[in-house]
Amino acid sequence: MIPASHREGSHAEAEVTSTVPPPAQVDWLSALRLPGPEQDAALRNLHELMLKAARHQVWRMRGMLHGHGADFLDELANSAADEALVTLLGKLDSFEGRSRFTTWAYKFAILQAATEVRRQAWANREVHLEDWDRADPGASPEEAAEAGDLAAAVTVALHEALTPYQRKIAVALLVDGVPIDVLAERLGTTRGALYKALHEARGRLRDSLRTTGHLGHDANVGDPR
Amino acid sequence: MTPPERPLSPRAVQLLTLSTEPWLSCDDCFSLMDVYVERVLATPRAAAMPQMRVHLAGCQACAEEAQSLFDFVASNPVDPPGGSTAPIG
Repeated sequence: MIPASHREGSHAEAEVTSTVPPPAQVDWLSALRLPGPEQDAALRNLHELMLKAARHQVWRMRGMLHGHGADFLDELANSAADEALVTLLGKLDSFEGRSRFTTWAYKFAILQAATEVRRQAWANREVHLEDWDRADPGASPEEAAEAGDLAAAVTVALHEALTPYQRKIAVALLVDGVPIDVLAERLGTTRGALYKALHEARGRLRDSLRTTGHLGHDANVGDPR
Repeated sequence: MTPPERPLSPRAVQLLTLSTEPWLSCDDCFSLMDVYVERVLATPRAAAMPQMRVHLAGCQACAEEAQSLFDFVASNPVDPPGGSTAPIG
């Protein structure tokens, strides 16, 4: 997926040029760790870089924020960069040098900005965790198989193979399109815990569909047969 | 929000039945994201880190963030003076 986007210059952000001369990787770490003027300068430089990444992310997702102007978007990016910098500084010891320091830093800003955009976009929307009502309550897995209707088979499997919690999570995330971090916040859980529940739900659905002959062992829907 | 008797769209069917093995958590995905992006940038056609590819196919939020990081790094090369642009490791 990512290589297909090898499209330098396709972003408005691509036209932004850095004004921050970054220190070398090892210098970032030493500068950020030792209190003094060098640390202050490194913090300013790092914040500027992370703000740029946060702006890039907010700009990408601005379509989710109807009715908000440029000032609001910039405020959101600034807030995300502030928060991300605090998070990064708390994890500085976990940087292993497997990537450039700046790439490592950018991901904190991008995660925080994306999370804040999704939260803002859903701030006035309710999330209903409703159960899924199958289209044909009388259809058995065999009947669905005979009909050759994968969607119907999946609908049956949603009821037969999943717990009510798994079903509600899967439907909210994959059918209703509720962002995973928004759903996690509303449920008082974490993104990781929800993804784990989704992973297990998918496994159960696949097992069920293999049993009914709708899915090959390692196949995904849409794979060439 | 979820009215009764809605048919599942083909996209929903695909997402619901996607294989997400081998397992990778969102936290692990975040930990690896910078390394993954630099590897893909360095060798776009290489099948880098299959567990990341599987996770990104199954987690829309992580996929958005990884794609964004990729685009941002690709369009904002920030290298240390005299440093290499190749990924470390």
